[in-house]
Order: sequence, then structure tokens, then C-alpha cells
Amino acid sequence: MSIPWSQTLRALASGTAALLLASCGGHAGSSNHDILITAAKPDRLFVIDAGSRSITHEYRIPGADGWLGGIVLSPDGRIAYVLVNHMESIAGIELSSGKQVFRADLSAPGERVKCLFAFDVSPDGKELVVYENPTQLKADEYVVEEPRFAVFATNAGLEAKAARTYPAPRRVHMILSKQDGKSFYALGFELYEYAFGDGKLLEQRGIRSWDHPGHSIPDLLAVWPVTEGTGEFVTPIYSNATVPGGPAGGVPTTSLMTLDLKNGALTYQDFEPTAALIFSAVGSPVRKEAFGVYSALTKVDTAQGKLAKRVNLDHTYYAVNLSTDGSEVYIGGAMCDVGFYDAITLEKKGNLRLPGCPDQALATLRVIHHP
Amino acid sequence: MSGLKPVNEKARLLEKAAAEGHVEEVTAMESVAGCATTFDPGWEVDPFGGVASLCQPMEADLYGCSDPCWWPAQVPDTLNTYPAWDAGKPSAQNDWRELDAVFPEK
Repeated sequence: MSIPWSQTLRALASGTAALLLASCGGHAGSSNHDILITAAKPDRLFVIDAGSRSITHEYRIPGADGWLGGIVLSPDGRIAYVLVNHMESIAGIELSSGKQVFRADLSAPGERVKCLFAFDVSPDGKELVVYENPTQLKADEYVVEEPRFAVFATNAGLEAKAARTYPAPRRVHMILSKQDGKSFYALGFELYEYAFGDGKLLEQRGIRSWDHPGHSIPDLLAVWPVTEGTGEFVTPIYSNATVPGGPAGGVPTTSLMTLDLKNGALTYQDFEPTAALIFSAVGSPVRKEAFGVYSALTKVDTAQGKLAKRVNLDHTYYAVNLSTDGSEVYIGGAMCDVGFYDAITLEKKGNLRLPGCPDQALATLRVIHHP
Repeated sequence: MSGLKPVNEKARLLEKAAAEGHVEEVTAMESVAGCATTFDPGWEVDPFGGVASLCQPMEADLYGCSDPCWWPAQVPDTLNTYPAWDAGKPSAQNDWRELDAVFPEK
């Protein structure tokens, strides 16, 4: 999903960037004015000007209770929806003011509800679909209930209740809205597509039962829903591939799974015998390449389906994103800094340490792109 | 698997399933977070059988594991059981000395 640059944020960021560039001399060669969004313990939400490597706003999220996870941005880039409160609440924070403008507390007396990372906003910004795992808390037992999708109106305020719910499969860890606004994808053991309006299951395709000849059942770790640069979700996925003359169990192989949110195309592309771990990945909007992160930063040539370059990082990062022009890689999640790397050379260009060194843990690193 | 000896019930079930040709029915991680659903390598050994590909340093992974209850045997979970384990300790790399061991409440 492409996120347009809001006028409010543009004004805020341009002013701040101009001030910093005047006082610090700026960063040579940087024409970048993306805005980065990340969160950190116990309740902090950061708005970062990527060009000047500076924090323009730092907010406190009410009722985070020391726990922050996924971040989803409204299509107009005005609001960050953050999973907080031990997976039991979603807070919508207005990025220009820090004001909480939306709040859905999922649990209720007698019923504990967890959202395991999976939620997204509709392309028109009017609805938020949330994957809920409810459990009845009885006096002497827990009763696990059926999971469900709950749809909230984003203008429902601070005591938002679900406008409608649908049955959902188990083990969903990500929701991604299709760009036409008519349906959303739920990633779990398989890839499901549901209608936004009535929750009808439209299609089910394989992930665990993928159509990738010569490969074992795959494994993937996908809780960072980054799609803003390309309208595509890209993630590493691991399996054992049968190789002529190779070992009986196959060769551990890393592939990229790509889901195009414009047309629903789902592809898998092998690119190396597994030589390094990658937690999350992002596709480039300008070149046929993708970037993955963990303890190393990996660049994949997606035209050739091969590893292009890999460099070791200062420490492990969970989350990766890319600048509007594809020239700079942003890395975050885990620990307390955001790294800036050249997309061509993978050379480190900068680093921003969050004040007080709060841990970003599982926070998504999101980008609001400039026009 | 030939060099590994199962030491708990789950591992014995996995070994039994492999011996009977049913290992495909044993479901690995695939992004399922939440207590007791994860049995992929980690913390003690990486997927390559060593330690070089564990998160570096350990503190980089600490709250990323405690928050989703990823390895509840190794790290207290802040998802359900010990929600205040890291209260007042927002920086894993600076505050790790202040994090206590946990014990079941009587």
C-alpha cells in the first residue's frame, strides 16, 4: 500500500529538517525526506526525519502497559495504529499531535483476547480488521474459543467496539489489505483471502502446502507487515530443496515469498542455499532487488534469483524498510537504534540512537514516503 | 537427528513420529507466536547447529522473546504470565542486570 505524504507531516518535517540542516550541515548526498515511525518500551512512539537522522516527535502511548508490537499506518499517513498492552489493545495515535484518536481494547471481563500481530487498515482508512484469539477465563479453567476477524470503524473513538466479526482460521500472524479495498489477506499456515464486507472466504492458497516442486514444507517468520514502498509483501521463507546428487533430506534453501497486494499474485523465488538467517525483508520500488535483515544485511537480486551482497551488522535487527527512491535501507526493531545503509554498497551511512536507549523489541519500522 | 537424544515427552514424540514415517505431521514454527507453540532452535543453538547465528548480542533478542512468549522456558513471558517482568527496565542492553529470575507463585 502506498502511503501519501500528509501535508501536516510535510510541514512539520520540512521545518525540522531545515533547522537541523542549517545547524549541522546536513548529510552529504542525502535528498531523503522520508518519515520513519517506530515504537519502543515502555510506551514510546517516535517520528523520525530520515534525511536529517533526527527525531521530530516523541509521544507516549496511553495504556501501553510496557508492551508494543506491530505498527500499521493509515493510508494518509496521519495515524499510526500500534498493538499494545500485551497484544490486547490497539491504539491509534495522531502523528502530528501525539493524541490518541482511536482505541480498541479487545478483552472484556471474563474473556481475554490476544491479537497475534495480525491487523491492518482498509485502503480507504475507514476500517481496521483485527485477528482475535479469545479465551474464556473461568473460575477453574480456561476455555479456548474460536478465533475471529473483528472489524472496527476507525472513527469509533477511544472505546471502539467491533462493528462486525467473522469466523477465522487458526494460526494467522498477519493481515494485509488488498489495494482494491474489497478483500484482505490473512497469512497463516496457508494464505487466505476474505471479503471485507461480509467475511466470506474468497480463496485459499498454499503456504504450508505451497506449490513449489522439489521443496519440503516451508517455514517462515512473518510479523513485520511492510508493504508501503511497493504494494508488495516480501518475506524470507525456508525449506529443504531436493538437489540432484545432494543429501537425501535436501539442501536448506532460502527463498523469497512475494505477495502483490495490487493483483494478488503470489510467487516464490529461491536465491541461496541457506547461509544466513533473515527475519524480515522488503522489496525495492526502483530495482529488481530485495533487502533482508537479521545479524547481517542481505541484498537479493530478484531478477537473477541470487544473493547480490551481504554485510555484517553491528547487532541483530528485526525490521527493515526502504527509502522512497530506493537508495537507502532503514533497519530497526530490537535494541534502541535505527540504522541507515546505502542500498547499492550496503555501506553504513548513519545511525540514530533513540533517547534513553529504549528497546524496540518487535515494533515494525514504517516509512511515510515523500511524493 | 541422529546425534540428538530426546529428553522430554515432546522430543520423544517427535522421534517416534520420525521413526514411524509421520514426521510431516509434526508442525514446526511457521510464525505461530504464543506460549508453548515454538520448538525451533534458538537461545541454545542456531539452525546451523552452532551459536554464531543466534541474535547478537543476546540482549537484542531478549524482549523480542519475552513479549510474544517465544521461548517461555528460557525467558519469562510478558504476554500472560509475567506482564510486569520488565517494568521499569525499558532497555534490555542497559537494564539486563535488573531483570530477575521468576518462580511459580504458590
